[in-house]
Amino acid sequence: MSAVRRRSAAFPDGGPQGGNDPSAGGGPAGPPFLRVSGLRAGYGPARVLNGIELVVGEGEMVAVLGPNGAGKTTLLRALSGMVRGRGSVRLRGTEILGKAPEEVARLGVTHVPEGRGTFAPLTVEENLRIGAHLRRRSHVAEDMRRVLAYFPLLQAHLRQPAGSLSGGEQQMLAVGRALMAQPRLLLLDEPSRGLAPVTTRRLFDVLRAVNLHDGVTVIVVEQNAQLALEFASRALVMETGRLALAGEAGRLGPGRRVASAYLGPRR
Amino acid sequence: MNIAERTGRRRLAVGWEAGDRRQVWPWPRLTLAVLAVAACAVPFLLNPYRVFQLTMVLVYGVALLGLNLVVGQSGQISLGHGAFLALGAYVPAVATGPLGLPHPVALPLSALLAFGLGLALGLPALRLRGVYLAVVTLAIAVVVPPVIKRFGAVTGGSMGLSVSAPSAPSWSGLADDQWLYLLVLAVAAVAFAAVRNLLGSRAGRALAAIRENPEAAEVLGVRIAAHRTLVFAWSAMYAGVAGTLYAWVVGFVSPDSFTVTLSIVLLAAAVVGGPDSPAGPLLGAIFMTFVPAAAQGAGDAVPGLVSGLVIILVVCAAPAGLAGLLRMAAGAVARRLGRE
Repeated sequence: MSAVRRRSAAFPDGGPQGGNDPSAGGGPAGPPFLRVSGLRAGYGPARVLNGIELVVGEGEMVAVLGPNGAGKTTLLRALSGMVRGRGSVRLRGTEILGKAPEEVARLGVTHVPEGRGTFAPLTVEENLRIGAHLRRRSHVAEDMRRVLAYFPLLQAHLRQPAGSLSGGEQQMLAVGRALMAQPRLLLLDEPSRGLAPVTTRRLFDVLRAVNLHDGVTVIVVEQNAQLALEFASRALVMETGRLALAGEAGRLGPGRRVASAYLGPRR
Repeated sequence: MNIAERTGRRRLAVGWEAGDRRQVWPWPRLTLAVLAVAACAVPFLLNPYRVFQLTMVLVYGVALLGLNLVVGQSGQISLGHGAFLALGAYVPAVATGPLGLPHPVALPLSALLAFGLGLALGLPALRLRGVYLAVVTLAIAVVVPPVIKRFGAVTGGSMGLSVSAPSAPSWSGLADDQWLYLLVLAVAAVAFAAVRNLLGSRAGRALAAIRENPEAAEVLGVRIAAHRTLVFAWSAMYAGVAGTLYAWVVGFVSPDSFTVTLSIVLLAAAVVGGPDSPAGPLLGAIFMTFVPAAAQGAGDAVPGLVSGLVIILVVCAAPAGLAGLLRMAAGAVARRLGRE
């Protein structure tokens, strides 16, 4: 794990967006990888997000914590275009708020929604291939090998319908499917939900590897604060539609008292 | 990081047969070959009336192949496919009759026109979902017969038009109905192959993804509206081609052949056959052709009654249609043979 091969070659064509643009590296000159400002969103009259301010650098792994109903899921849904919002969400300076989800996906943002959303009657392989919908056909075989290297469990089930997998395997499939798209920004909504602790840990191992090896920026909503603080480089705490607390995972982490005190009584 | 080392190998949770229902029948190619040979032998073995009936099965089969794309693959309901059938049927009636174009032009022409009409209707209609699409397509089906009657100068009004079918070339030594049967069979085979090809492709997977979970498909970059519209147009094209074949086989088109009932019967046949199965269109077409004909002898109202009962029975007892029953039977046979 320490000998991290910084393989920028993992993305020979820079992913769906073609992100070899030197100014896009989050350097001081270019715009930040992701800048969210004044983001408000909701469902009908119910306002869920009340002005989110957030900057995420390229290659960061950010955890979003917070009690139920704080708006964590809505934040991810607004970022991927599944919920309309107001304000501004800029990906490398490009406004993505107001774009349809499939257009946002074309810019390299892949969302693993809550509850996995695998295509149950389709085989595991077909699920993975749908993940590669936006990739050129010549890349798919290589992508498939890479994803199966991350999730060797899926290899044995390639020809089985996704619906026959266990919950943990389906979650791995959902993440693997998202990785097939070669995202630059990966949004995960409670990937640990319903998983055994050991499976969750394995999943987060993969997420960290994807983050470190492939330089994929990850934003993960997680109820398990300890786990999130352990793996993420930075943690945000949401409360009633705002970011209430932000800091390096190390700073929030040490005692983990901050987070647990913050989250404890509300859960 | 090395997950494989940590977890070791794992037994399959579900067996191959139980897991992948597409592998249930062990000899798909052999079965297809036998069916193909039998289909080619039909016109030389059966009497002309039976040949006519089987030709109609193939015609409806092509239409149902198209309808299945919408119902089975896209997961939506069209009550307007009779209208596309009508369009396809009037193309040879008008083009090869009054306009004097040669027969081979009619098929691609009606395919093109039906595709265009499907695209034009699909663009606005498919933004509507579920029952709304059904209502819009129903409206199309309702409108078509009066429109045909209104433009009587071209369409012959409610009197209809007679259609001349391509006749057998002299070198073949075939009767016209045999020739027509083989022609329809060839078109049906090409249509079937094209659908299989489509479903195995990237677009086919995208369609399946949209059907199973539109939100999850969307966030993976699948353009839902575009795929749905395109598949609706494809489906309309199949109906248009079937319409042209219909006109050739029947030799006569009139507005009364393309009422709302036809659209509804087509949808029912798609459901009875099995909307998401390769064998579904054929079984649905057999149902559509033979069940009313077989019940005809018993009295005037009986065909409708029997068809209705069969539809209710199939939907209650076999939600996956006759094709689903067939698949279960095939699985049972394969297992029995496998144990020996």
